[in-house]
Amino acid sequence: MTKKSITQRSSNHTYFHKDFHIALNYGIEYLYKNFGENAVDEYLMQFTKNYHVPLKKSLCSIGLIAIKNHYKKIFKVEGTTFDMDLSKDESKLTIYLHASTAVQHIKENGHKVAPSYEKTVSVVNQEICKNTPYDCNMTNYNQDNGAYKLEFFKRVL
Amino acid sequence: MISCTEFIPAYNELFKFIEQKNDKEALIDFWHYLSDKFLVNLKNEVVENGLLGCWNYWNKTLKEEAADFTMELDEKEQEFSITMHHCPSKGLLLEQNHIEPYPDYCEHCDVLYRRVLEPQGFEYTLDRSQTNKARCKLTIKNKQKLHIT
Repeated sequence: MTKKSITQRSSNHTYFHKDFHIALNYGIEYLYKNFGENAVDEYLMQFTKNYHVPLKKSLCSIGLIAIKNHYKKIFKVEGTTFDMDLSKDESKLTIYLHASTAVQHIKENGHKVAPSYEKTVSVVNQEICKNTPYDCNMTNYNQDNGAYKLEFFKRVL
Repeated sequence: MISCTEFIPAYNELFKFIEQKNDKEALIDFWHYLSDKFLVNLKNEVVENGLLGCWNYWNKTLKEEAADFTMELDEKEQEFSITMHHCPSKGLLLEQNHIEPYPDYCEHCDVLYRRVLEPQGFEYTLDRSQTNKARCKLTIKNKQKLHIT
């Protein structure tokens, strides 16, 4: 009969729990099934509006370099392969995500990717840009691996 | 892409959104849905290994979440416990000034895990009296053992 005990300090480990991607996926799926596709948009807009306050402020004050730094940090933590190109005049940022570690983790663990899951990219980034001098557009979303091209650019006034 | 490191604020906001969209009952329904779909790995662990399955499950997840905790397993007494000294999820919500935590954020832990463990014959107790300090205590006992003693 085993008797054991373990004490861990947060400083012993790096905060990186990939299964959270699966939980978020089921959150999106639940909204889609129970409240419809528009609810997915509404939720992601509400999340972005309340969570990305510091990033929106940085975008307004230092421009697209704020977005570049944000995603560089996230992609590094996630171990994602990507390319980023910020134009010389810093008016355009293009991000190529070669495969989403979130989509890969969801699938590798035997779960189906939720309908509208790609809105976690498109809606979130559009909401980040809302009421700033910038806008963005996601294209070439790959349903199989979650790859995409995301362009941020100065709004035409 | 929402990173898994940004999940807790997204989860917190999802609780608020579902309750605003409908009511608390809808939120509990979501927690049941998530428990059934997402915690299959915990269920498989306890079906196969009993209380040791709880140890195996939380030993992995709490390390990945960089939690500050003490975990104990006594197979003779058929008792498993986690004393959470600092929960990284609730801690994050309390520390970030611009995020408003869902009022009873920690209730989801009670609902999600209870739903997996009680049907397997375990008594599940979660002391949430100190969650305002990101602390809690989880105790899981094998009911079969309780009836014998």
